[in-house]
Amino acid sequence: MALNYKTIKPLLLTGSNATSRAFSYIGLTVGILLLLCSVQMFINIQQLLKKNDIRKNGFEYISISKMVTNANMGKDNRFTTADLNELKAQPFIDGAAPLLPNEFKVVAGAGSMIPFSSDIFIEALDNEFIDTVPPNFTWQEGQQSIPVIFSSDMLEMYNVFAPSYDLPQMSPATASNVNLSLRCEGALGEMSFQANIVAFSDRVSSVLVPENFLAWANKKLEGIDSVKGSRVFIKTKDANDEKLLRFLDEKGYRVNKERAALGRSRALLQGIISGLGLFGLLVVLLALMLFSFYLQLVVARSKDNLQLLITLGYSPSWLSKNLAKRFVPVYIIVVLIALSVTQLIQWGFHHFVMYDRPELSSYIHPSVAIIAAVLAIASIIANYGMIKRLLHKIA
Amino acid sequence: MQLHIQQVLPTYFEETIKARSEIWGKDLLFSKGEMIKIVAPSGSGKTSLVHFLYGLRKEYNGTIRYDNTNIKDLNAEGFAGFRKNNISVVFQDLRLFPEQTILENLEIKRELNPYHPQEKVLEMAERLGIASRLDRKARICSYGEQQRAVIIRALLQPFDFLLLDEPFSHLDTENAKKAMALMLEEAEKRKASIVFADLERIDYFPHTRLLHL
Repeated sequence: MALNYKTIKPLLLTGSNATSRAFSYIGLTVGILLLLCSVQMFINIQQLLKKNDIRKNGFEYISISKMVTNANMGKDNRFTTADLNELKAQPFIDGAAPLLPNEFKVVAGAGSMIPFSSDIFIEALDNEFIDTVPPNFTWQEGQQSIPVIFSSDMLEMYNVFAPSYDLPQMSPATASNVNLSLRCEGALGEMSFQANIVAFSDRVSSVLVPENFLAWANKKLEGIDSVKGSRVFIKTKDANDEKLLRFLDEKGYRVNKERAALGRSRALLQGIISGLGLFGLLVVLLALMLFSFYLQLVVARSKDNLQLLITLGYSPSWLSKNLAKRFVPVYIIVVLIALSVTQLIQWGFHHFVMYDRPELSSYIHPSVAIIAAVLAIASIIANYGMIKRLLHKIA
Repeated sequence: MQLHIQQVLPTYFEETIKARSEIWGKDLLFSKGEMIKIVAPSGSGKTSLVHFLYGLRKEYNGTIRYDNTNIKDLNAEGFAGFRKNNISVVFQDLRLFPEQTILENLEIKRELNPYHPQEKVLEMAERLGIASRLDRKARICSYGEQQRAVIIRALLQPFDFLLLDEPFSHLDTENAKKAMALMLEEAEKRKASIVFADLERIDYFPHTRLLHL
């Protein structure tokens, strides 16, 4: 026959201190709530920022340049091979490629259709770092037509100023049909090419040509074998990574301001939320400590009865298990309350503060529920261990 | 089951006591079914011996074994098993839960390893004259009533050895005889042994061995 806990129940918890018990329950609820809310807010921040990232295959690409200050103004502020190798060696950087400039003069014209010509700069970048690379973005020696990837920002800028100069505004599709002429002039000669816009890039604010064309033209027109870039594109998993930003600051590299500011404010926010989470954890620990004092009090008050039960042949393990079981529903209820309030807060945050932004969810993240379950289980196990220890001490 | 007592002497007793004792410092073997009477004057260590045999205290040299188990090697869990199945006891200091009724006290023990149905508890209580006290809290019962309850409590489980430490100290001879008869009947059912420690010889305990402590 299975032993019945009911028979011995009145022998335990005699004169239990209700106030101390209530305080430990409240403390536990508040602590767990703080902890769960912090985790949920941490996840919210991650999700909000992720949406703004320009990503390709899960990577982010940012451009950096050396900060030009009064101290280094006269010097060569371009990236050397050593600089590039150092960048590539960092664990938080998955790749780096320089944006190579033209060393010769380039004059672009739009032919008879648009009476416009201007000195421009052309640049080349490793294809992997360009967000839009159509298959025809290639060039072979002897090819007269140069494929060009044009910056979306530059097209927008052109459209802003075009009416003032009596020039027609252009959609990206129309711009792609315009035959551009490129006149390249260098110390060693002069050449003319046709150019076609084959794509628009949101990432690179420049006029991009295939790498091999630029290398060939620099050599042909200026006799330069290798050029150094003053801008470098970095491939990274997290452009807001604190270590990355700290490294770039230390090196005196300038990053896209908006992005860096976002990363820094995220770091600050996450710092505050982590602090709040730690505080929550502290409250949980304090509450568990209070609860352990309460348990010690219960065991101390029932000590004579527990001792007699053990003397009569009751197993200390059975007694601990059954005494601990009494608190299982308490822990589950406490965690469920904290979880429900976290859900309510998340819903309110999404609905009233974030106006139902699609990148956030009204429901708590599964990891928050998992943490809640782990906390409940850990509390139950800790509780059982403590009761068992106390009972074996008096046995 | 056999009980071996080998060279046992409380750590707080002097060695000289061995010379005049038939138990301290001796090798003894008690087998199941034996009726052992231990006569001991006050202060000779009667309660100590019962506590040693029941595993409540360990301040002794020598070994106490139930079959091959040295009880000094048992932990709290091990003792729980022994006390539930093999050894039962009537303490001199009674040890009832004061705030529980006599019946509750008996049920707490009976449920641990029920040898008898609940009806048997009532029958025993009637035989010993405490049936009307079953619903009373233990603390307001007289010592005599409490002692009878403690005797019934010891008989509600299976056992191979029943240890008695001055079990009739609060009973008159007539009630003591009734209690003894009940204990002998219950021991007989289990083919168990009774180890009866008291101040003097008692005629109504049919001992098979008599030892002076």
